[in-house]
Amino acid sequence: MRFVMFITLKGFFRDRLVHGLLISLVFFAAIPSLSNLSMRQVTELSITLSLSMISVLQLVLAVFLGGTSLWKDIERRYAFSLLALPFSRGRYLLGKFLAVALFTLGVAVVLGCVTCAVVTIAAASYPPDRPIVWWNLLLAIGMDACKYILLSSFAFLFATVSSSFFLPVLGTLAVFMVGSASQGALEYLGSSEAATMAPLFKRTVSYLYYLVPNFSAFDLKVNAIYGIPVSGRGMILTLLYFVAYLGAVISLAMLLFSRREMK
Amino acid sequence: MTSQTLHEPAIELANLCKVYSGKGGSRLQALQGVTLAVRQGEVFGFLGPNGAGKSSAIKSIMGLITPSSGSVRIMGQPATDPDSRQPVGYLPENPSFYDTLTAEEYLLFVGRSFGMKWVTLRQETERVLKLLEIWDARKRPLRSFSKGMVQRVGIAQVLVHDPAILVLDEPMSGLDPLGRALVKEIILDLKSRGKTVFFSTHIIADVEEVCDRVGVILNGELRAVEEVREVMAAGVHGYRLKIRDTESGEIEEVTIHRPALSGYLHGLTPRKEILLMEPVRRNLEEFFLELVKGAAAPGPEAM
Amino acid sequence: MTARLLPSLFLAFFLACALVQIPFARYLKNRPVVEKIGYVPHAELLKMGSADQKQFMAALLVSKVLTYFGGVTQQAERKVVIPMDIRGIHRHLEGALKLDPYNMDSYYFSQALFVWDARNVPLANSLLDYGMKYRTWDWYLPFFAGFNSAYFLKDYRKAADYYRRAGDLSGSDLYQSLAGRYLQASGQTDLAIAYLATMEKGARSSAIKKAFGIRLAAFREVKRIEAALARYRSENGKSPVTVQTLISSGYLAPPPRDPYGGEFYLSPEGTVSTTSKFAFAPKGKKP
Repeated sequence: MRFVMFITLKGFFRDRLVHGLLISLVFFAAIPSLSNLSMRQVTELSITLSLSMISVLQLVLAVFLGGTSLWKDIERRYAFSLLALPFSRGRYLLGKFLAVALFTLGVAVVLGCVTCAVVTIAAASYPPDRPIVWWNLLLAIGMDACKYILLSSFAFLFATVSSSFFLPVLGTLAVFMVGSASQGALEYLGSSEAATMAPLFKRTVSYLYYLVPNFSAFDLKVNAIYGIPVSGRGMILTLLYFVAYLGAVISLAMLLFSRREMK
Repeated sequence: MTSQTLHEPAIELANLCKVYSGKGGSRLQALQGVTLAVRQGEVFGFLGPNGAGKSSAIKSIMGLITPSSGSVRIMGQPATDPDSRQPVGYLPENPSFYDTLTAEEYLLFVGRSFGMKWVTLRQETERVLKLLEIWDARKRPLRSFSKGMVQRVGIAQVLVHDPAILVLDEPMSGLDPLGRALVKEIILDLKSRGKTVFFSTHIIADVEEVCDRVGVILNGELRAVEEVREVMAAGVHGYRLKIRDTESGEIEEVTIHRPALSGYLHGLTPRKEILLMEPVRRNLEEFFLELVKGAAAPGPEAM
Repeated sequence: MTARLLPSLFLAFFLACALVQIPFARYLKNRPVVEKIGYVPHAELLKMGSADQKQFMAALLVSKVLTYFGGVTQQAERKVVIPMDIRGIHRHLEGALKLDPYNMDSYYFSQALFVWDARNVPLANSLLDYGMKYRTWDWYLPFFAGFNSAYFLKDYRKAADYYRRAGDLSGSDLYQSLAGRYLQASGQTDLAIAYLATMEKGARSSAIKKAFGIRLAAFREVKRIEAALARYRSENGKSPVTVQTLISSGYLAPPPRDPYGGEFYLSPEGTVSTTSKFAFAPKGKKP
């Protein structure tokens, strides 16, 4: 499992993924000057832009890395020799997933440092009304990474049952959109405005709410940008939710993959 | 190794069936009740035309596909258990490996997956890379390798952990004559070291040269399992004689069926001199072709 | 054949690109500024569609509004008057605030725009009230709301409440004393000048800064007329009928100029007003 993880990570580096991420640094470099477009919240805008950039990159990584890493092994027939090695399919899948998760975390750490630098520069040109809560900023980046790790577990789940690359990629994007909107949708349905909506639609939404992970809990951007206190209990619950959900999705993926025929 | 495992077959297929169900309810019977035991220390050739079910049988052994019924055991352990693959080295058909890695890196990965110690692994990697003559290319990524070189890497990654059982799916394919000769040499060397080699091929000459036994598979059914030596011996069905008449100096050539030979020899007069007598044998290829024809003629299930 | 055809084909298209480039660039340069601010999806849809990019989307909407506003004011200076799509701006700012109720730029801009140009003070104050629920630490919002209540709505009790809140949050007594000064209508021009000067100084966007600068210039003119008016009253013992009287009798030189293109006049209550109402041409009408 360890070795599959190492070799997969090595593959990521050899595939010039890091080069691609370096290009994103150009955008980060532009953030301090872009933030000056704001009338009243330069530092806040620099945090917004940095966090948005990290989220977009992590989303791309989760969808494409998560969606293609397993698919590519099967498509290019690497899996035939790999799966004949003396470890179970589950361990192989776990190794691959851990590689994606570790890479996501690594990217979060690096971009987190870049963000701190960018925000410091922006804050120097126009000090914010309220002091920056660095702890919130780091927490937001960390929770974002957790969110995208959870999302890539769905990419793996789809890849175990699909022979094409569309289901993992598009399915993961769909999970992301539904999971990000489900909280808002549920609250909207509870409001009086939605009283006239079809009951079937309402039921579907609430099923989706419980089936698809609720990603809005992982979104601490507001707390990071405006220095709004984070609920400790909420964070612990969110982390528990993350662990339980990730465990469920990955074990299902392992189960499905161990039954897959490698024709 | 306990005395019990010593007598255990290296690979045992028991009534193995595999049905692929395709789109629209179509079914393909890839294996029909294949029962076979590969003994420890033998070189077993698995012979059959394309699409006969060789790869399905091998993938069942390696746990890549699940049999529809029947079972596979490796050294007594069910093939569904990943640990059963610990003593096995596997070369897939037309293999393909992580192409961003170098040959050396891939071999190190395989060796570590088998739990090899780092020091031995490094020595063994060097040995097999040199053996397969790809040592000079070891630092190059595999994507720059030709098909024949990838095949050599495939054989190297089988050998690196010195497994007791080697399962090779078409090991000669993609290799040039030099490579083929090298692989045959390697197989004979493995045999001399008491390893079990199970390999599939559709080239009969390969079997003749290196195998102890041969199994012939046709349309998913195992048609024959024979000792190669016996097939070759049983194949002698007559003799060709060159005889000179010592008086007239005439030379005559006759072919005599095996049962008639002693009668013929008795009937020879003393002025006849036997210049040459050689067995006329039906070779493995004819044996194989006969089996194939026999299967094709009456077989309603023939594809 | 294709081997020879392709290079010439490429060359032909390349030349075509170069030829089109010049008129194309000229067209883009002289294209009228964004006259239409465009469409914003329904707030709920926007919220769900933005996934985890709500704050970014809000910033994007605000920047769109700002670009539009900058374009329209630039045209107004060139005496080309485009009626500003206040409703469109409102939709954008509302969308931005639904996405990110903490976005200060939205409040700041709506205060700058709705109060003066749109004369929709209750709308501005309702947005500020909404913001105070979120930006609980920010003294700017009650400061704006207090000014609006006192200066435009003449609701001095409410203004005092807002100023007290601003005072509490900023830890300064200034706003409490400001509330008191608003009670006298005569001091309004001074206070408006003080307010506008503060806003202009703090403004970072050049379009906004310019907008405040123009308004400040207009109020300085009002202040000048008021001073002349006071001198005329004390020296002549009566009020003049028109601003023209002040000019012709030498109390007001040079003649006042409304940067919004309006004309100053004296209202029957004796206060100074302008036909422009301190805004560029109300919808459609030429100044």
